[in-house]
Amino acid sequence: MPSTDYQGVSASFSNFGRSILSIRRDQVHSMENTHEATRQEFELETFQRQVADRFNGLLPVGSDELLSLSWVRKLLDVFLCCQEEFRVIMFNNKEYMNRTPMDRLMSEFSERSVKALDVCNAIRDGIEQIRQWKKQLEIVLCALDNQRSLGEGQFRRAKKALIDLEIGMLDEKESNASLAHRNRSFGRNNVQKDHKSLGHFRSLSWSVSRAWSAARQLQAIGNNLAAPRGNEIIATNGLAVAVFTMSSVLLFVMWALVAAIPCQDRGLQTHFYIPRQFTWAAPILSLHERILEESKKRDRRNACGLLKEIHQIEKCARRMNELADSIQFPLTEEKEGDVRQRVQELVEVFKAVKDGLDPLERQLFCVLVFGPWYISFMLQSRLLSVVSIFGFWLLTEY
Amino acid sequence: MAENGEEKLIAVARHIAKTLGQTDTMADDILQIFSNFDARLREKLSEKLGDEDPRGSAGLEQTLKSLDRQITRYVAADHPIWSDSADSSAFLDGVDELLAVIRDWTPMSSEKPVAACLERADDLLQQAMFRLEDEFRSLMEKGGESFDLIRYQNGELAADYSFDSEDDEDEDSEMIGNGEDNQIPVAHPISDYDIIIDALPSGTINDLHKIANRMVAAGYGKECSHAYSSGRREFLEESLSRLGLQKLSIEEVQKMPWSDLEDEIERWIKAVNVALRILFPSERRLCDRVFFGFSSAADLSFMEVCRGSTIQLLNFADAISIGSRAPERLFKVLDVFETVRDLMPEFDAVFSDQYCFFLRNESITIWKRLGEAIRGIFMELENLIHRDPAKAAVPGGGLHPITRYVMNYLRAACRSRQILEQVFVESIAPPGGSDYRKLDDRSMSSSSLSVQMAWIMELLESNLESKSRMYRDPALCSVFMMNNGRYIIQKVKDSELESLLGEDWIQKHSRKVRQYLVNYQRSSWNKVLGVLKLDNSSLASNVVTSEALKEKLKLFNTSFEEICKTQSTWVIFDEQFREELRISVVRNLSPAYCTFLGRLQTVPDIGKHLEKYISYYLKAAFVFARNPVAYITPMNLM
Repeated sequence: MPSTDYQGVSASFSNFGRSILSIRRDQVHSMENTHEATRQEFELETFQRQVADRFNGLLPVGSDELLSLSWVRKLLDVFLCCQEEFRVIMFNNKEYMNRTPMDRLMSEFSERSVKALDVCNAIRDGIEQIRQWKKQLEIVLCALDNQRSLGEGQFRRAKKALIDLEIGMLDEKESNASLAHRNRSFGRNNVQKDHKSLGHFRSLSWSVSRAWSAARQLQAIGNNLAAPRGNEIIATNGLAVAVFTMSSVLLFVMWALVAAIPCQDRGLQTHFYIPRQFTWAAPILSLHERILEESKKRDRRNACGLLKEIHQIEKCARRMNELADSIQFPLTEEKEGDVRQRVQELVEVFKAVKDGLDPLERQLFCVLVFGPWYISFMLQSRLLSVVSIFGFWLLTEY
Repeated sequence: MAENGEEKLIAVARHIAKTLGQTDTMADDILQIFSNFDARLREKLSEKLGDEDPRGSAGLEQTLKSLDRQITRYVAADHPIWSDSADSSAFLDGVDELLAVIRDWTPMSSEKPVAACLERADDLLQQAMFRLEDEFRSLMEKGGESFDLIRYQNGELAADYSFDSEDDEDEDSEMIGNGEDNQIPVAHPISDYDIIIDALPSGTINDLHKIANRMVAAGYGKECSHAYSSGRREFLEESLSRLGLQKLSIEEVQKMPWSDLEDEIERWIKAVNVALRILFPSERRLCDRVFFGFSSAADLSFMEVCRGSTIQLLNFADAISIGSRAPERLFKVLDVFETVRDLMPEFDAVFSDQYCFFLRNESITIWKRLGEAIRGIFMELENLIHRDPAKAAVPGGGLHPITRYVMNYLRAACRSRQILEQVFVESIAPPGGSDYRKLDDRSMSSSSLSVQMAWIMELLESNLESKSRMYRDPALCSVFMMNNGRYIIQKVKDSELESLLGEDWIQKHSRKVRQYLVNYQRSSWNKVLGVLKLDNSSLASNVVTSEALKEKLKLFNTSFEEICKTQSTWVIFDEQFREELRISVVRNLSPAYCTFLGRLQTVPDIGKHLEKYISYYLKAAFVFARNPVAYITPMNLM
């Protein structure tokens, strides 16, 4: 029963987000002398609450689940839901779109959305990158799993794939890393192969030019993002709060994607200025903090993406590599047991990646497909505010 | 010879051991003793202990040994094996034999000695495969270098050699079947782009196919596909960048000045055509030839090759589709839409397999979104027309720029009528629908575009009406509406709009313009006509009449003069219309005026001095009554 629910909430005024809305309501009420909440007010307050609920729902995860593929998918689900609700609110309030300061707020939001689309495209490339690693894992499994026996040949095959995998991941980490560094990591085993392989692992980046930087993009999305002032809230009938909410969600989700998934020039230094009084601020800031902590862990500091599965691939590959190095032929039963165990680990990671990537990419595609909705919407309303441009049009053949 | 002797010796030893030994352990012991005679025998024999089928197993052993020698020689070679065709075929023969041995013996792998042999065989196979992979890569690299195929002349792509538009696909597959044929066939000819390039020499392709064949058979298909696709991907990306295509983010596209973006669109159109009509089909064919017989490996490799470039191309179209809706962008967006539409059969053909299906779907999504963008631009146009404010009246009631703009805009847009019809049919053909250009049938689809156009005309008209209210003089207001209405009809008749809006629309609007003309007459000339009216009562007295007539004449002169003065700054934009207007005013005015003059002549004191009373204007008007071209009601020429 949404109406009773709403009354309960509005009676409490326990938070800033709602009291912001109440500023305007008080104004309206004093003029209109009515205590009935309008549909729009209800909509806006529900939106605040739903965003908060959704992000609270993302909170209760163990550190081993945070930033896993399934968690990132949940995050994108949350994003898509928030976006849809926001869209409905904006659609129901079209008449405000061309008024100041709403026109400015929406045009800023539309610019942020465009920037976010580029992040999504870069993330898509990152997913493809992970897919390439998955293929190397597949070769390792091909060599070591379900074999009659584990011969030297199979190990060499697996080893080569593991090295290619490591080079691929390292290449992603520091695309300009020196060859010396690579040789230090892998030199023991297969120095002569390194040089050859490098060319085949140029990081796959199709959406953006080499100069593009995810870190800068995030900073640009976050630029000038500030909670609306009282007069803005009043002038926009409270819509400014929704725009700020959605912008913050957009920024956080893009930031989390960049944190999790490899992409060009990752960097997580983006600052979040969200007044704690918003109900959704607490869960978002808490997630932000946890992800940031994760990125500072010693073994994750130089990771090419904080995605749990990437970490697992790295870990499993390294262990497998070490094991392969220590193996003497013929294989002792004990060693063979170890190998089988490692293979089993790899199988699990492989499955997780295999099952998780496609749905994630589909979600991302949804973001890319539905995202442009605002942009066209905004572009239209922005153009409408241009008084008359007919005078400047030169298309006047007589 | 020596080998043969050794083989016999081992066989004999085994035979003795088997016959003498009642149990396995006894046989083992005997073999042990034999082994001690000669170190060379030790290894061989010890592996065979407990073998159920000593002869076969020994055969396997022997075969492996000879294969090992044969293969290892090449695996260790420090020069490219494929530099010598005898070497390469000997190596491949060895690999084939090894594969056959593994295949034949795998069912017996539960037997320990066989398993041990198979392990060695696998080991050998792995070494051979690594070498094959290296050879594969270097063949691809060398082939690519020596075959720098694409030449650009004046920005146009031209394939210099190695294509022959007379061959077809059937010959292609036959040729691969034959294997040795060096002829280069070509895919189906496609309009202007009926070239298929072979980025690798035919001999190299055959070599690659032979290697791929072995690698896939050995279960190393993934490695092979990876080596293949990473090499070709680079080639494709290079080709695209040579076509002048940059990697642009959506934001960069949005921020680009429109004129630059126009150039970028031009380049993109060229590049996407070359990619879909030449590069991708060429890659498809190359891939099918290299992985002939392994359709899954071929499909996967092809997807890996094209994916990045396709996404890059589609991303640009996508960025255009969510870009600004400013109406002047329509024409370029139409170009992009048309390009993607015309390429849909190519997308279908080239991305038809399971791995590429998503690329095809994406192209459909983006194509649809371009349609939305075009509809969005029209919506924007509607908004702009609807909201264009009445700021200052156009002097003289002439053509308003908005009329000119909108009409010329629509006229230009209707040159792409067929595309627009497609865009405005609500649902674009669903994915899977084969012919993307089927909407040629105008009768079924033109209605939504007609409705759209009629709606824009209505918006324009009502905007003009609101602008006409700026004029305080109702006559000028009518002149303004006449001018603009007349212009609209002219432009409609002069373009595709005529058939879109239909005869009824034109007639309706011609009637409207006539009505404005009537209104104009009424509000400006009827007052003058009223002055000329003679009432019968005034005829009764000559004295009164004479004075009254003089008064009337004076009044007529001043009002006429006034109208002339006012209307001298008014504008009729087109000559023919000016003519028609003149005639209509004269027809309206002259009978009453002539009657009036006739009456004046009958009045004695006036009749004599009539000329004194008729002003300059009226003289002229009188002349003009008979010869309308000589003088004009004071409409200025434009």
